[in-house]
Amino acid sequence: MRRNRDVGEGIIRPRLSVPGRLGLIVLALFGLLPVYWLAATAFTKKEDVFAQNRPFFPVDPTIENFIGFFQNDALLKNLGNSVIVSSGTALLAVLVGGLMAYSLSKFRYRGRNAIMFMFLIGQLIPGALLLISLYLMLSSAGLLYTYAALILSFTTFTLPLTVFLLKGIMDGLPDDILEAAKVDGLSRTATVFRIVFPLVVPGLITAAMFAFMRGWSDLLFALTLAGPDKQTLPAGLTQAFIHEGTADWPALMAASLITSLPLVIIFVVLQRYFVSGLAAGAVKG
Amino acid sequence: MPQATLERPEIREQVPPPRSGRRSTLGAKDRTFGFMIALPAVLLFLVIAIFPLVSSIGTSLYDQSLLRPERTFVGFDNYALIWDEFVARLGTTLVFASLSTVFPLFLGVALAMLLNSRMRGRTVLRGALMLPWLLPGVVVSFLWAWIFNDSYGVVNHVLTLLGLPEISMLGNPVGAMTAVIIAKTWHSFPWIMVVALAVLQTLPSEQIEAATIDGATRAQRFRYISLPHIAGPVTLVAVLEFIYNFGNFDTIFVMTGGGPGNSTTTLAVSLYHLAFGSYELGKASAMGALWLVLLAIISSGYLLLNRRLEK
Repeated sequence: MRRNRDVGEGIIRPRLSVPGRLGLIVLALFGLLPVYWLAATAFTKKEDVFAQNRPFFPVDPTIENFIGFFQNDALLKNLGNSVIVSSGTALLAVLVGGLMAYSLSKFRYRGRNAIMFMFLIGQLIPGALLLISLYLMLSSAGLLYTYAALILSFTTFTLPLTVFLLKGIMDGLPDDILEAAKVDGLSRTATVFRIVFPLVVPGLITAAMFAFMRGWSDLLFALTLAGPDKQTLPAGLTQAFIHEGTADWPALMAASLITSLPLVIIFVVLQRYFVSGLAAGAVKG
Repeated sequence: MPQATLERPEIREQVPPPRSGRRSTLGAKDRTFGFMIALPAVLLFLVIAIFPLVSSIGTSLYDQSLLRPERTFVGFDNYALIWDEFVARLGTTLVFASLSTVFPLFLGVALAMLLNSRMRGRTVLRGALMLPWLLPGVVVSFLWAWIFNDSYGVVNHVLTLLGLPEISMLGNPVGAMTAVIIAKTWHSFPWIMVVALAVLQTLPSEQIEAATIDGATRAQRFRYISLPHIAGPVTLVAVLEFIYNFGNFDTIFVMTGGGPGNSTTTLAVSLYHLAFGSYELGKASAMGALWLVLLAIISSGYLLLNRRLEK
């Protein structure tokens, strides 16, 4: 997809009609009000949430729900696990996926197309289908309830996206650079780490970001492969709060906000890489 | 030889530039190196994705439980035992997966069209509307469970203030299904919006300009210019979205646990309950194998579409 340079920001784009504006407002409210409600509840006192005529904003805002999170040893442990597992996933995915992408982009060998096809199919396999066999396999390998179990699983499932994203970028690297490296006597391995990877840093960042998000957000594997000790935040939240009838909603919303915050920060900081990566990942498979 | 040196540049010019890196200097050692660096990813994928997939078909032929160390071969008995349940859960899954694809599709494309016009704060709004997509599925589910909470949820609070009767969403089958679809729609629409918007922005402005001069109405411009332009990529994303929704676990597991009754128990939730609730690994694997057959059919559709679009 080539971006047309003539399409400048708002040169020809029409202004919105009145019904268009109304429609946009309604849809935007559907998108944004729940986010507001998440934050508003998190800053509300528990007793205020259950009051008969409660207002729609925290009149008497409190941070007690957040303090509660940081005083909860189990949730803190989950947070630490989330950081370890997601960072590990991001690093491994970029390393393994980056090498694979470079291989597919610049080398031709037998089985190359088969590998590409396998990855294209692989991204369609739902986690639930692999759950039982993975559980049995990791169990017999002695890896059940370890960080490695989670990191290896998450990395595998982000690999297709990582590989296709980075391959797309590496396809654009001129072969002359690689030739030059060879002529200069740089070894093949050094060429990867000192020439190729540094040239595609934005791509590596995007891929790392998606891998991190994948590890951070997953529930199914965290619930089944991690065990109580290595569980990440989504699984921890589920276990701490799933008894709906008695749930402490402000505490749950505060914990949810804390769980979401790293992803939002990553998005805000890296937004410019985001959209292109999302589109590339979606359209190119 | 002079001849050879004269010929070389000519040959080089006739050869079309390689699309990606078929280099003339690429020797056998380079090829080996290329294969070696692909190996970690390939091995990881074979061990963590492909092998379990194949091995689960084996498990489906055994009476196997997490509670017993030994397993007994039972042939296709598991399939017979879970067939009725599979059909029932498949119905639920199809309802959930298709509606949670169609609604975000409409919402995402509509927002993309609206955001593609001239206005102040466009970038900020687009960024803000990405928020739902960023949140982990678990958070989305808890949030909507709270919004739809019978006694203290904000929806019922507003209804009461307006003098309207309260609704019980998560307590009845239709309401629970509606609630999980709304939650999933809210979680997914930004993705489709961003893809549609990115594709819309590749539309040459001359086309719209020319059509406008020729007197095409807004609706006509959408129908005959914008829609055909985004149809391909957006359909591809929708098919992907459908496949993901088909296997969705967290939205339903957290919001309803599959209930009330089995009204929101999709294949993924059912498989989880079978395997980790009743420890019936054989039956759960049989359910998975039947699911795999369906997935293969849907995936071929995706691959065909993908190939057609790449041309």
